[in-house]
Amino acid sequence: MTHPETSGLQARASWILCLLLPLILAACGKPEGMPSVDLDHAYSPQQGGTLIDAMTGEPSGLIPMIAGESAASAIAGYIFNSLIKYDAKLELEAELAKSWDISRDQKTITFHLKPGLKWADGVPLTSADALFTWKLVTDEHTRTPYGADYKLVLKAETPDPLTFRVSYSQPYAPALDSWAGLQILPKHLLQGQDINTTAFARKPVGSHYYQLEDWRNGERISLVRNPLASQGQAHIDRIVERIIPDSASQFLELLADNIDSMVLNPIQYARIFPSRPELGKKIALYRELGNGYTYLGFNLKHKPFDDKRVRLAINYAIDKQEIIDGVLLGLGEPVAAPYKPGTRWVNPKLKPYGYDPEKARQLLKEAGFEDHDGDGILDRDGKPLAFEILTNQNKQREMSAVLIQRRLQEIGIDAHIRVLEWASFVGRFIKTGDFDVIVLGWSLSQDPDQFGIWHSSQTKPGQFNIIGYQNPKVDKLLEQGRLELNPNKRMKIYHEFSRLLLEDSPVVYLYAGYGLPAIHKRVKGIPNPAPPAGIGYNSHEWYIPEPLRRNEMATQ
Amino acid sequence: MNRALSNPLAQWGCAIIASILLLAMFAPLIAPFDPDAINVKAILLSPSGTHWMGTDGLGRDVFSRMLYGSRISLLVGFVAVGIATAIGVILGAVAGFYRGWVDIVIMRLVDVMLSIPTFFLILAVIAFLTPSIWNIMIVIGLTSWMGVTRLIRAEFLSLREREFVLAAEVLGAQDARLIFRHLLPNSLTPVIVSFVLGVASAVLVESGLSFLGLGVQPPQASWGNILTDGKEYIQFAWWLSFFPGMAILLTVLGYNLLGEGLRDALDPRTTKQAKG
Amino acid sequence: MTRYLLKRLFWMAPLLVGISLVSFLIMHLAPGDVTTTEAGFNPKASEESRQKLRKLYHLDEPVLTQYGYWLQRMVTLDFGTSFASHQRPVFLARQDGQGNVSKGLIQEALPITLLINVLSLGLIVICALPLGVISAVTQNRPPDRAITVFVFIGFAVPGFWLALMMMYWLGVAHAWLPISGLHSLHYEHLNLLGKIADSARHLAIPVFISALGGLAGISLFVRNGMLDVLHQDYITTARAKGLPENTVIYRHALRNAMLPLITILGLSIPGLIGGSVIAESLFAIPGMGKLFYDSVMMRDFPVIMGILTIGAVLTLLGNLLADVAYAWADPRVRRGVVR
Repeated sequence: MTHPETSGLQARASWILCLLLPLILAACGKPEGMPSVDLDHAYSPQQGGTLIDAMTGEPSGLIPMIAGESAASAIAGYIFNSLIKYDAKLELEAELAKSWDISRDQKTITFHLKPGLKWADGVPLTSADALFTWKLVTDEHTRTPYGADYKLVLKAETPDPLTFRVSYSQPYAPALDSWAGLQILPKHLLQGQDINTTAFARKPVGSHYYQLEDWRNGERISLVRNPLASQGQAHIDRIVERIIPDSASQFLELLADNIDSMVLNPIQYARIFPSRPELGKKIALYRELGNGYTYLGFNLKHKPFDDKRVRLAINYAIDKQEIIDGVLLGLGEPVAAPYKPGTRWVNPKLKPYGYDPEKARQLLKEAGFEDHDGDGILDRDGKPLAFEILTNQNKQREMSAVLIQRRLQEIGIDAHIRVLEWASFVGRFIKTGDFDVIVLGWSLSQDPDQFGIWHSSQTKPGQFNIIGYQNPKVDKLLEQGRLELNPNKRMKIYHEFSRLLLEDSPVVYLYAGYGLPAIHKRVKGIPNPAPPAGIGYNSHEWYIPEPLRRNEMATQ
Repeated sequence: MNRALSNPLAQWGCAIIASILLLAMFAPLIAPFDPDAINVKAILLSPSGTHWMGTDGLGRDVFSRMLYGSRISLLVGFVAVGIATAIGVILGAVAGFYRGWVDIVIMRLVDVMLSIPTFFLILAVIAFLTPSIWNIMIVIGLTSWMGVTRLIRAEFLSLREREFVLAAEVLGAQDARLIFRHLLPNSLTPVIVSFVLGVASAVLVESGLSFLGLGVQPPQASWGNILTDGKEYIQFAWWLSFFPGMAILLTVLGYNLLGEGLRDALDPRTTKQAKG
Repeated sequence: MTRYLLKRLFWMAPLLVGISLVSFLIMHLAPGDVTTTEAGFNPKASEESRQKLRKLYHLDEPVLTQYGYWLQRMVTLDFGTSFASHQRPVFLARQDGQGNVSKGLIQEALPITLLINVLSLGLIVICALPLGVISAVTQNRPPDRAITVFVFIGFAVPGFWLALMMMYWLGVAHAWLPISGLHSLHYEHLNLLGKIADSARHLAIPVFISALGGLAGISLFVRNGMLDVLHQDYITTARAKGLPENTVIYRHALRNAMLPLITILGLSIPGLIGGSVIAESLFAIPGMGKLFYDSVMMRDFPVIMGILTIGAVLTLLGNLLADVAYAWADPRVRRGVVR
């Protein structure tokens, strides 16, 4: 009846146009063409180039003592340095201080600064800056959560511009570790400022290899080489940290050669890369041990977890190798002590509990748990052995919980999983002690002191002995460990501590996972295999040979 | 009703939904594996003769999980939208019928609810309660009744002035009779349509919640959480995204087709023989 | 009509207070506050610093008192400073004593979200109009069916799946478009045209994905609106008069069918400031969706309240606009409402 051709044509034209719109835009894209270069050739170290890295979060500020989140410490680590630092083997070595002495009574540490140090703005760096930083971190007004270690210092002095001396009331073994973690701030720029609100947090001036060049909120942070760096010159001229919250997007950017490095998950590392040989040609995979471990913790104040037999039974019922194989695809290690594998603090005589469901059943029977009513679930005094496993929104912990739940089910324990968002988890359940079993992880410092986590005095809300562990022998060892500065004697103390912990089994150690960085082959100088400190410890020595650099125009 | 069912859109919609419903109902009979059966030696296998839709990150059979997951998605859809529709019809009818300050109060309540983002409400409530499937349904229901309220209210406002209603009033009919015998039956079309479309929406909301980690608890399977699991390895383990994605697509498509088909068929204004 | 408008506007102030109070209370339903999320779960972090922070932010006082502090500030339109990002202002930029400007959080996130949403809405309308018209004109015939199925597929396909597929196809397999982010690294060095092109290339996929979801609703709306109108008597008259079909469709039908579309657009105004946190995460776009989600996760109350307040104002205005337009359009309702 009608002839809609003319109107139809118009309509169809605009329809086709909006479908083509994205393609038109796409066609205006720049043609990529990587000249064929030999990525595996052994180039010699040289200056220059830009490294593009990806971060999932954004720092809230760049003053290390105020902004504690990992994104902030990662960037601040490029800009500031401390008096001493850890080397490849995780031993302490010189940084801003060229040497340090410990007094005979072990209560005083004297740091001798390197002469001729300068801040990035040219002003000399002296012991006055160290004193200023210490005063800042111990000031009541400063909103830092990390002041506790530094408040133990009785007296801090600067007898001359190159000497910084601190005295404690009694020997404090973790002291050196705390000084390795305190990044020195410039007195001349921060004096008189309110450290909590100063603009310095967005425009920092440091003394390390890089300085802040530009910070585009939510998009990227670029760092440029600091010519006045205290430790010498880094090879790579510029580092750009792109903020890409989603790891699936990060992976795509890595594939498209828009970023040079990212941290992979086990599937990407062990399944995707091997299935695509062309990826392996341009991207190198590394493996390093992380600084923590994942565990299943019991609330020792709740029955029946106060019964050691029940805890041991659950320990035997969980197949930890299965968790490592399933969750980490084998990219992790079992642990028997709360320390990073390969360090001297790990007691080599300790072995993790194996997978032994029979033994588990037997132990539970001794504790009075049997299936009296034939419903498949163990019970005691008419009450079934059932509880909730709480964890936060972390994929690996969730998967571990699923595996644990199944193994527990097999021996007759009825466990349910509850995944919670972090703030609720901590606020509603951890702080109040209102939980039965949790799957969590600890991220550890290099110092073996674990007072905060295991000492019986640390069980108040907000403190970290969240499972409520109380063992006077362990308490004594922890206190002793803080006073003993001799590394060998300390080692013995913490070996015994680990042994007692394993015997008591207040937690079930699940695994220590590997970090899995993937870095483009254009970045040379990366140690492989990774030393105990990880591959990043010498990132200032990495270099990008000129033929392999990105088109400099595109990355300026 | 005949017209409704002879509409091809509605027919297709019905066919799709019926098939999914059947699969969901008979899941225990059809599923070749236990959906929770973990096998760490069979992680992320691609679809094959044994595992028709491949396996997931813990070696569980995706096809079985999809079947059981369909129950979750459909259940959430129905119950959540059922709650929302019930609330919406009641409030909308009262507002449209009584008008005056009752109407004002109810519409302002709608305004308040619309001003608070759904996600925020859901997060706060779920953080407070357990993120269980029932709480999710209740929360989705409690946050999506506003559209239905407006629809019913608008229908009632128009119908209120029509002759047959005025006639009934003159004849002395009580309020309740007016509402239930005269107004509601004539307003049902938008209710039915919005119910059907709402189910589609609820399925999408559930998958969005799973994406944000606020969905059903592990190890329970839902299409949303299978889909989310596959996000990191989309180019590699394509089956983890493709099958739940297609399932959600088909379900939502089915409900939308049915809804639009019903709307087309039942709405007197769009039929060729317009009553004017 | 004017009386109705004035009454509605008059009620907005108490309504806003009510909404903000309800939002504030809901916000405090969720356990935890900014101090539970700060410093992660680091054993070196001490509890007393958290207590200090809590005191500073009045988090240890009763909920209603905290609400009072907030309301006090809001009366002077002071949105406050964020808890989580160390005192950055919530809304507008602020200058301190030394002339250092800290940009407001909403001030930075809002333009990005607005741009994407406006572009997306534009794309939707450009596509939905012809699709809806064709659908209505060819009602129940193959083009209508095909379009209906097509837009529903667009609505039903999981957004992030399509996004990742497109990012892969257009960004990795072929380097035609950037994958994530808002600007290229060399953005500063481009001239104006280059900058526009660069932004366009970065926004292409996000806008497309966002538009695809909304296309179904609007094109169906146009279709149904057109169908409504096409069956009216005056259209039959126009055809009987012998007017060409084009004129009938565009001059008479479409114009009248557009009216409810404008109502719908009015209702979409509050949605313009909302972003999808999922899309923004994927595309690394620092917009309102991510800001809101992050601040909820971090329990950053001032930011949450700031965003909710702006949203509430826009929603109330948008609803008012929609109701007025609807009432004005339908004479029967207009009479009933004014009575």
